[in-house]
Amino acid sequence: MSGSQTRAPEAELGLLDATMIGMGAMIGAGIFVLTGLAAEIAGPAAILVFALNGVVTAFTGLSYAELAASIPKSGGGYAFVREIFDDLPSFIMGWMLWFAYMIAGALYALGFAPNFLELLHVYGIVPPPGQVGAVALPVVDAAVPLAFLLAFVAVLGLVALNAVSTAASGSVETIFTIIKVSILVVFVAFGLSSPMFSSAEFQPLFPEGSGAAAILPAMGLTFIAFEGYDLITTVTEEVKNPRENIPKAIFLSLVVTVIVYLAVVTVAIATLGADGLADAGEAGIAAAATSFMPTGLPIIQNGGALIVFGAVFSTLTALNAVVIASSRVAFSMGREGQLLPSFGQLHHRYGTPFVAILASAVVMLGSVALPTQSAGNMSSLFFLLSFIIVNIAVIRLRRERPNMNRPYEMPFYPAPPLIGVALNLILAGVLVEYLIRTDPLALVLSAAWILLGGIAYFALNRLRAQPNRGPTDADTEITPEAED
Amino acid sequence: MTSNLDIIVAGGGRVGFQTAEILANRGHDVTIIEPDERIVSEIADEWIATVIQGDATNPDIIEQAGIEQADAIAALTGETGLNLAVCLAASELNPGIRTIARIDRAAGTAYTRFVDAVLFPERAGARVAANEIVGSDVQTLADVTGDLDIMLVRVAEGAPAAGKQLTEVRFPAGTLVVSDDEGHRIARPDTMLTPGNRYVVAVEPDVADEVMNLMRG
Repeated sequence: MSGSQTRAPEAELGLLDATMIGMGAMIGAGIFVLTGLAAEIAGPAAILVFALNGVVTAFTGLSYAELAASIPKSGGGYAFVREIFDDLPSFIMGWMLWFAYMIAGALYALGFAPNFLELLHVYGIVPPPGQVGAVALPVVDAAVPLAFLLAFVAVLGLVALNAVSTAASGSVETIFTIIKVSILVVFVAFGLSSPMFSSAEFQPLFPEGSGAAAILPAMGLTFIAFEGYDLITTVTEEVKNPRENIPKAIFLSLVVTVIVYLAVVTVAIATLGADGLADAGEAGIAAAATSFMPTGLPIIQNGGALIVFGAVFSTLTALNAVVIASSRVAFSMGREGQLLPSFGQLHHRYGTPFVAILASAVVMLGSVALPTQSAGNMSSLFFLLSFIIVNIAVIRLRRERPNMNRPYEMPFYPAPPLIGVALNLILAGVLVEYLIRTDPLALVLSAAWILLGGIAYFALNRLRAQPNRGPTDADTEITPEAED
Repeated sequence: MTSNLDIIVAGGGRVGFQTAEILANRGHDVTIIEPDERIVSEIADEWIATVIQGDATNPDIIEQAGIEQADAIAALTGETGLNLAVCLAASELNPGIRTIARIDRAAGTAYTRFVDAVLFPERAGARVAANEIVGSDVQTLADVTGDLDIMLVRVAEGAPAAGKQLTEVRFPAGTLVVSDDEGHRIARPDTMLTPGNRYVVAVEPDVADEVMNLMRG
């Protein structure tokens, strides 16, 4: 090979692998990080929240299945919309999806930190999470919360890993997902047999004051937990017989995920109570586990440690998945000429979309400073908006390209995409209304991102309109030239 | 700009499908127009291209294939007249498009007055057959490579690998840069990938798009 180094080509994924990629993203962090936050808003009705979100996403899932089977392109929602819409709408779609993934990355990193502290606490290395204070920085005269620092380091580590080596293969993801699900099954099994469960109280189902209406904002917040199938469709090129396996993988992963969520949330609420869960916040499931898992076991000492480990592991693997996903969206946009061409180029040495990963990292690292709830809200909002566009894309494609071959056609067309648009719109509306009341910062940042997108779009068009601009692209590249 | 093209292939038979597959492997976006339902479903199984089922001479069908944004259209059905009609209709709908028509006899080269390029698969096949009959130990590339693609690639200005030495660029496994600048020498570790120069590169289909990304941007 002429003396240069090589990398292995990517492996082919089967139905199991594709399903596991989707489940890995959905079960990953949402369940550990968001359950406590959902309980805080909706009380024991958090169970309903996850069930209903599963129903809402199922409609968009049908659209994804149809698009993924008929448009042979990796790149997820952005690639489909790009195929159908003009420049501006497809740019906005990619821009929103990119942001949704980056913020999801921040969310997972923020969920990782308290769970990691809880793990250290279980082994007695640090005091209980509530008592872990800030770390005083020696150089600058300021204290940084330890959790923030941990989240920052987690993002930095995974970004570095992904920047210099091609993504972990699907089979690794499969093993990761099986570990996560097994840990949750252990959690549910012990929870069901725990005395705390038999005396469980789910009354009052809805929190006092807000009543059943509290479900909607909680659905908005936790919606992000179900974005996993966009991730399945970003790796379609690597899946065997995709026209059959992708729709199957989408539905399988969604069904299994909803079942797992319902079991886990039910057990968590039954044992720790909605209030206890809410108090524990991002470490809700871990706290619930510590409360009823057996102690004094060999090696792992404490049954709760297993679950806490699961939470740490899940948030990290989910973070890894969204680092890949966000950079792939940016990479596709670069390939399509919708971001600077350098976004769409592989690094000559690492073979990774280096610039796309670095750019995603900057936003992720910045957003780690957000409160967890804001990150969840913003990411959910952008997923809701982009899912609306995906549903519209299906309708538009059917109208404009009636003769296109569709190996998978959704049943009861056009009901599912129309219902999908309506439900996603309602949730987005409720979420925006909720943000106006409780979290204007998240809303302002969201609007700012869209505005920034508009500026980027027109600046890029201006740049493209200039003659002789070919070689100047290379100058704007961030690729470091310093090599060993 | 990015170097991946938006290409329409009319006719998903043997020639059309193979062409689409090679193009898709190199990272281009391919749409196939094919009337035969059985062939359509075979293509869908391979998942390399969007397929529009219908007659490529029907303007409505060509429009559904996205003719306005397409960079090139290759009419590769078995009928010369049909192929010419498709190309003429396509240039009518999108004057900037590059047109390639498959023809069925050598005299057809005169058609380059109407289309940008013509393709005569039988002649290419005959060359291979002649090689095969003589049974020579040294044969032209077209028939010894099986699935491998042996390509002449011009390094693009601003591509990730442009201006780098071969040792600095980590190509995916399944790639071999064979020649030095413009094919005068065999490539060495210190061979420079100079923008604007062409290199003979052998690639496995799986990694062709990655190699294209590195060398063409």
